[in-house]
Amino acid sequence: MIEIKFKGRGGQGVVVASELLGRAFFIEGKFPQCFSLFGSERRGAPVIGFLRVDEKPILLKCQIYQPDQLILFDLSLVEEKEVIEELKPGGTLLINTDQGIEAFKNWRQFKIGLIDGRPIARGAGVEGALNTTLLGAYAALTHEVRKETLIEVVRRMIPIKTESNIKALQTAYDRVRIYESLS
Amino acid sequence: MREFMTGNHAVAHAVKLCRTPLIAAYPITPQTPIYEKLSEWESSGLLQGIMMRTESEHSAMASCIAASLTGVRTFTATSSQGLALMHEMLHFAAGCRAPIVMANVNRLLAAPWGFWADQLDSLSQRDTGWIQFYCENGQEALDSVIQAYKIAEQVFLPVMICLEAFFVSHFMEPVEIPAQEEVDRFLPPLNLPHRFDIEKPGFLVPVVSSDLYRKYRQMMQRAMDSVKTVAAQVDDEFKTTFGRSYGIIEPILVEDAEVLLVTAGSMTSTARMAIQTLREKGYPVGLLKIRLFRPFPVEALQQTITGKKKIVVIDRNCSIGSGGIFCQELRAALIHSPDPPFVYNYLAGIGGTDVTPDTIGKIALDAIRRVDPADESIWWVDV
Repeated sequence: MIEIKFKGRGGQGVVVASELLGRAFFIEGKFPQCFSLFGSERRGAPVIGFLRVDEKPILLKCQIYQPDQLILFDLSLVEEKEVIEELKPGGTLLINTDQGIEAFKNWRQFKIGLIDGRPIARGAGVEGALNTTLLGAYAALTHEVRKETLIEVVRRMIPIKTESNIKALQTAYDRVRIYESLS
Repeated sequence: MREFMTGNHAVAHAVKLCRTPLIAAYPITPQTPIYEKLSEWESSGLLQGIMMRTESEHSAMASCIAASLTGVRTFTATSSQGLALMHEMLHFAAGCRAPIVMANVNRLLAAPWGFWADQLDSLSQRDTGWIQFYCENGQEALDSVIQAYKIAEQVFLPVMICLEAFFVSHFMEPVEIPAQEEVDRFLPPLNLPHRFDIEKPGFLVPVVSSDLYRKYRQMMQRAMDSVKTVAAQVDDEFKTTFGRSYGIIEPILVEDAEVLLVTAGSMTSTARMAIQTLREKGYPVGLLKIRLFRPFPVEALQQTITGKKKIVVIDRNCSIGSGGIFCQELRAALIHSPDPPFVYNYLAGIGGTDVTPDTIGKIALDAIRRVDPADESIWWVDV
């Protein structure tokens, strides 16, 4: 079983990101389970998305405390120490940031993917939500899911600006900077 | 066909498959996605029935009662405050012997305000004469709605299908959607008595003498008692058609267990994992899921529990001044057992607090260590 946690703010597409990725795993024959936690449904409020995926049905009906993979939509929501304590040893971190790898020297025990999502999304014609952009980067970083499956899911689930979202996904897939774990 | 969906949408699918002609509802978080999905299908022509958008839950239930008495299938969905507002009409529905089916998404009751899972909303309606089922996941919620119509229409009592906020209502998981033809075969076109004629409107709830009232109540109680058998039969039939069944209770690794955990709803799934770990560590722990709460399956529980030393009921609800409600009922059911077990009550998951396999494991170990019985409920907080 892989456990994935998404952290971001209301309006960034955190909930939809976990649902799209869940659906992609489902299409690929896996047993995903996804859910979200939000204090209040408003833009800017912290939102956490959870996704589990396994080869068999998942029985757990509780939150994820030690994910294998952490996707950070918004760095301002996390403390450096918190990530180290939370992410499983050997885990993978995908970060939406305009900074270089040198800014994350204390997280190098993890595999890291860096993506500057905002200009990519905007360049493709997507305003606000970063979900499709970060999922493109996720596919290239982890290879847990095929890019083509994600594109199929976007076509099916996102009726507005579909092609822009696919372009954002594709661009992020090509541009994500990947750094293997140093430990 | 298998699809990836939330428990709420699984319920909406069940209602559509049952070809329910009258749905009357009022939106309330976290039930609203059921209402929205059915509305969406209504406007796109996929729903066979009509949606009545009432001004309150009280009116929604009144509409369901009236429609049900004209002989049609009816459905409503609500949560928490909405169910509380319906309270008066819940008694009317059961007293009129209207076979209404309702989904209640278990959400805590105010105050303070919140949207999280807690079973107190439906459990505090336990004396209204409604049959109640508690579901572990979206698949069970879907299947239970289909079963509910078949049960309700045999015994003429309404059914409440309960699924917890968030852990069932909003969890997206793979769900098997039965084929329409199979559901049609399982639930043939309805031939309920037409007790209300809209051409000749009249008042249906006359004043009766004390004697008559007692007789009606006794008939209701008898009908409710028969549900234990009817529900088990319907579940068997369901298995023949759809290949899935749940039982009115489900014993898991019970035979050689000395300590038995008892759960209802989504926590059961997590407990299934927890007892595997406990077994691997050598603890003789089993699990008992209570799915049917009204009528309370006393005989089935007595049979399963006979000979056990310790029962550990974990309640995601608290009747203030008494304790966990599943535990109250279970203790009462066991009072005449030969050599009755110690029954411990742990309150966990109240207000949607998270219950992990580790939580359940720790509760089990705490109960195993205890030497004396405990009357009071134990408020469990993970440390």
